[in-house]
Amino acid sequence: MSKFFKVSLLMAVLLVALGAGAASAQGGCPAEWTLMSAELEAACAGELSGTVVTMTGPFTDQDEVKFNDAIAPFEEWTGIDIQYTGSKEFEAAIRAAVEGGAVTDIVDFPQPGLLRDFVEGGYVLDVSTFLNAEHLSGNYIQSWLDMATIGGPDGDIMAGVWNRINGKSLVWYPIAAWEEAGYEIPTTWDELIALNEQIVADGSSPWCVGIESGAATGWAATDWMEEIMLRTTSLENYDNWTIPADAESRLLFSSPEVTNAATVLGDMWFADNVVFGGRETIASTFFGDAPLPMFEEPAGCYMHKQGNFITSFFPEGTQPGVDYGVFYLPPIDEELGRPFLVAGDIYAMFADRPEVRAVIDFFSRGESVRAWLGAGGALSPHRDAPLDWYGVELERNIAALIADATSVRFDGSDLMPGAVGAGSFWKGMTDWISGTVDLETALAEIDAAWPTD
Amino acid sequence: MQNQKRRAAIIVNGILFLIVLAWSIPTIGLLVSSIRFRNDIRTSGWWTTLPNQAWVATGNQLPIPDGQTRDQPITVTNSAGVATTASYDEWLDGVDMGDGSRLVWVGNLRRGQLEEYRQQWTMNTNFTLQNYEQVISGRQYQIQNIDGTTETVQGDDMLGAFLNSLTVTIPATIIPILIAAFAAYGFAWMSFPGRKILFILVVALLVVPLQIALVPILRDYGQIGLNGTFLGVWLAHAGFGLPLATYLLYNYISGLPREILESAFIDGASHFTIFIRLILPLSVPALASFAIFQFLWVWNDYLVALIFLGFNQQNEVLTIRIADMVGSRGQDWHLLTSAAFVSMIVPLIVFFGLQRYFVRGLMAGSVKG
Repeated sequence: MSKFFKVSLLMAVLLVALGAGAASAQGGCPAEWTLMSAELEAACAGELSGTVVTMTGPFTDQDEVKFNDAIAPFEEWTGIDIQYTGSKEFEAAIRAAVEGGAVTDIVDFPQPGLLRDFVEGGYVLDVSTFLNAEHLSGNYIQSWLDMATIGGPDGDIMAGVWNRINGKSLVWYPIAAWEEAGYEIPTTWDELIALNEQIVADGSSPWCVGIESGAATGWAATDWMEEIMLRTTSLENYDNWTIPADAESRLLFSSPEVTNAATVLGDMWFADNVVFGGRETIASTFFGDAPLPMFEEPAGCYMHKQGNFITSFFPEGTQPGVDYGVFYLPPIDEELGRPFLVAGDIYAMFADRPEVRAVIDFFSRGESVRAWLGAGGALSPHRDAPLDWYGVELERNIAALIADATSVRFDGSDLMPGAVGAGSFWKGMTDWISGTVDLETALAEIDAAWPTD
Repeated sequence: MQNQKRRAAIIVNGILFLIVLAWSIPTIGLLVSSIRFRNDIRTSGWWTTLPNQAWVATGNQLPIPDGQTRDQPITVTNSAGVATTASYDEWLDGVDMGDGSRLVWVGNLRRGQLEEYRQQWTMNTNFTLQNYEQVISGRQYQIQNIDGTTETVQGDDMLGAFLNSLTVTIPATIIPILIAAFAAYGFAWMSFPGRKILFILVVALLVVPLQIALVPILRDYGQIGLNGTFLGVWLAHAGFGLPLATYLLYNYISGLPREILESAFIDGASHFTIFIRLILPLSVPALASFAIFQFLWVWNDYLVALIFLGFNQQNEVLTIRIADMVGSRGQDWHLLTSAAFVSMIVPLIVFFGLQRYFVRGLMAGSVKG
């Protein structure tokens, strides 16, 4: 191949690219989009202009503003109007709406367990029928695709696309207080325990913990359990604990693995002075108020583990990177790598129209959360969302932490059947932590609520 | 005798006053909270705004003694020369020095100081109208754009939801009253076969919880295109309110003096004329008291509006708007205080406007004759 030929080939490619760029500028969609579904291509060409797609989900208030901001460019490019309505009582409303046939075209589920019910009822459409398989496997890590695949009445379907996620394995700390006290960020569990002892010996409490959340009291404690499970036992065990394939493979709460995880948690929390206010205040402290003592002068506690959404509960005016920082909850068993616990929103489709398909395809691309990443408050599961899109440095670091993780697992209580994951697991943990029952009884109670069919 | 009566009156009035006070304290607390700052609401009770005796820092500080450990008692001498020994955990909570002052260990064993407190009368007078501003005109969000600039986005205000609530509530009050008044007249004064059975059916409907009707109605609405419309929610509220309305009005209307109606009949009035010219004016107290019931119930309703209007942002009513204001994770729950007061205005106007009928109407149907 002569050099001249190479150059002219390059020119030709450039020309074609330019031409494609011009064509897509006319349709509007970003030129980087490839492997589009037929419907998204039609939408980008402006053929679906003027259509309306309705959508509902649990985002309200500030999240709703940011969501609308993030989808605005797409509406401009395609002329499709996405009408989003957030609802505080989403879980209650959506059940009646689906059964009454009054559901919106797209529904955002923050809990895959809830979505599972509708998939099993045959209400949810399979998105893999029109989304390009190569695009999906290229743009999501396999864990996400696996978690979106749910068994319906006619076999497994891909029940939706992941759009916005939360990192959970995060420990927040007040930077100034740490610097003054000279504490170092622990990178192993032993260092963490040593730090706990150091802080207690210095006359303070290392942790702030609060699990009160009205009718959902206890969920914050279930997150802790899941973190420790991921760090003390295999992924296979974790999966058998949260979504067992059948009754035989189910890992019981009373099994040695789960009991061990609870023991690790109890040994840490129930030691004297480890939790700010003492063990008895854990169950009565609102999860949103729990981190506040970190920001008192001097700090009442030095660490708080919670998902990245907790920053909206921090006192007004506190700055990420200045007032508070974040680090990864260290691994316990080094052989298990660096697992990361996440939660997220999966968008499922309830109406099959070309414009709905196009919008779902859009949500499977990083572009759909770009403005939200810039504004802060969201993380993206998409591979085509580069780290430099994050407007908040701290969130960029969290995204990098998740990308570094050796494995990603979803919040187990959101995956378990509702009677356990949103019921006995919360209650059992609360009863045990508040000292109402002992660990063995609590775990047996949780097991008893697991539906048998 | 006279004295005894007066004493009884004083006791009754005193007890009534205490009951009223006990009942209004939560509302007063809510009102006070609604004008406090977010951080104040989260960290201290509303009662700290009242004059109270509290420990106040005098500004005097002592250095912490070096080289102490957590499990050894620690002796501290204050500026007045009084020495006290207590454990570290007791010092953290504060120790009374015996001369009216109290020392609190602030910080930990390695750094910090001991601060002196004295009891003083104090009150927290840090008030703001910020909550009301945010609730009424919508919150402002700083959104960072992709290009790095920030813009301020105005969140939804309450006005639209306020108008929607009125649009839902007024027809949803008038429709059931009209239908129920006709029905009550029919049950009370017209004889037709099956009247008793029908009336028993209506009374039986009183005990049917509305929740079980939600999904079937939603399904039917879906077929005739009423989901998310005002008409749908009016009909739903009318249906759910009718049994009680019919029962209440029946008891009142059936108790009207028979002679009035009979003389109207003799004069040749039709049922319709009697209803319009006699029954309606005579039953104003009962109508008004039921109107208050129904208005308050519909205005404060969350469930019916959520199900039948839920997924249509344009038709969002006040209760739903307020619930959404607290944010996806409930991080802005402090706004509920002021939002509650704003949403209370209309029911209060209705109540005070109709309350002179209300007292009479409370006895509606209780005494026949």
